[in-house]
Amino acid sequence: MSEEGKDTRSFWQVFKAGLVFENPLLVLMIGLCSSLAVTSNVSNGIGMGLAMTFVLLFSEIFISAFRKLIPNGARLPIFIIIIAAFTTIVDLVMKAYFPDLSKSMGVFIPLIVVNCIIMGRVEAYSSKQRVVSSIADALGMGLGYTWVLIVISAVRELLGNGTFAGIQVMPVSYTPILFFILPPGGFLVFGLLISANNAIKRSINKRETLAAKQVSDQQKAKENA
Amino acid sequence: MKNNIIKLGLILAAFAVVACASLAVVYQVTEPAIASQAQDALNSSLKELFPEATSHEDIKGAVSSSDETVKIEEAYLVKNDLAPLGVAIKATTASYKGPATVLIGVRLDRSITGVHILEMSDTPGLGANAASSTYYVDKAKKITFPGQFTGKYITDKFEVKTDVIPITAATVTSKAITKAVKVASASAGEYLQAMALGTAAPSAISGASQEAAQPAAEATSGASATSSGSATTQPAKPAAETTSGASQ
Repeated sequence: MSEEGKDTRSFWQVFKAGLVFENPLLVLMIGLCSSLAVTSNVSNGIGMGLAMTFVLLFSEIFISAFRKLIPNGARLPIFIIIIAAFTTIVDLVMKAYFPDLSKSMGVFIPLIVVNCIIMGRVEAYSSKQRVVSSIADALGMGLGYTWVLIVISAVRELLGNGTFAGIQVMPVSYTPILFFILPPGGFLVFGLLISANNAIKRSINKRETLAAKQVSDQQKAKENA
Repeated sequence: MKNNIIKLGLILAAFAVVACASLAVVYQVTEPAIASQAQDALNSSLKELFPEATSHEDIKGAVSSSDETVKIEEAYLVKNDLAPLGVAIKATTASYKGPATVLIGVRLDRSITGVHILEMSDTPGLGANAASSTYYVDKAKKITFPGQFTGKYITDKFEVKTDVIPITAATVTSKAITKAVKVASASAGEYLQAMALGTAAPSAISGASQEAAQPAAEATSGASATSSGSATTQPAKPAAETTSGASQ
């Protein structure tokens, strides 16, 4: 593998990209299936997010570390073996030590194997980058996935069930809006989050271009003077 | 080209072997914990169904399901020392997204002591509410979906929307669980019936000796006429007829 396409960004920049600018759910829009399916309560959201981050982190570290040993022709099956191994580890550990969480997530933990985020990041990033950058990418993408899951599930659980992480928050007189627990509610909350993320991105971009403009204006003013 | 394929295959195999070996290690470590989790869950569920329980006996071979869509996984005769308290049955049926496993307890008086949902993979927030301890089908009385079966008798109807309150937007789940409870409790009732006859037989003979004596005498006289080869089965045969005579 050539080292030409090396990511020159700093650890923090790569990490930050996953959180907002290249957020896997809100910007890249991959791996949506599980994220909408499990987010009907907050503990599921946290559990799924962390399980996913774990698998992503270790798969990326492994694949990045062994990237020179993985032949190009057989890379996809090897990626799948590595991802499946880590997913099974998470599944077994959760069954052994967090049986309630494992029960409520059901089939979505084993399904992490086929989650596009992991396959996508491994193929597009860590199979070409250094281990340190891969760790930053995995943490950024994983936590970017996790925070979106937590926000979606918090909104859905609060409005759809009147609870937060299983604790009754809304007054007893509140009638839960079942719509939010159902799949369409998930899509609605998800759509609103995408637009919120776009607004955040736009305002950041605007501030940066404004700052850049001010700098160039000042330079022009100096030149004129 | 041919060499290349073999090389790729060998590399792939090497990765697979390493992955399998590491998974075997993780499995070895977690397997006892997973098994003990399942065992703890069973023990505590039995304890919740029958608080005074001290031991249980496996009676799976003696219990059968009357409905082929409901499978009886495990069955226990729950006892306090030697006195039987009732029967606990673990049954599985197909629910919305896959199998649902319930554990039910039936007392000697044929009332249901409780229903626990042990495993299910229905939609979180909908069907999975059946297993939630904070989802109430009757909010005023704080009764959960499986909770509403407590105190019902096995002769009840078990019909969703007549005597069983369904979970909102999860009719399939509600019906599946209700069916599992109905079939499993009927099986438990059959076992209790047979057990009552079995243990009641010695005392019943003294009460109904007049009626029971005659068929028993007939049976032995009839059997004596047959060949002596079946002699070993003879004591059991009249005894069985005695119990059936007593029950009538």
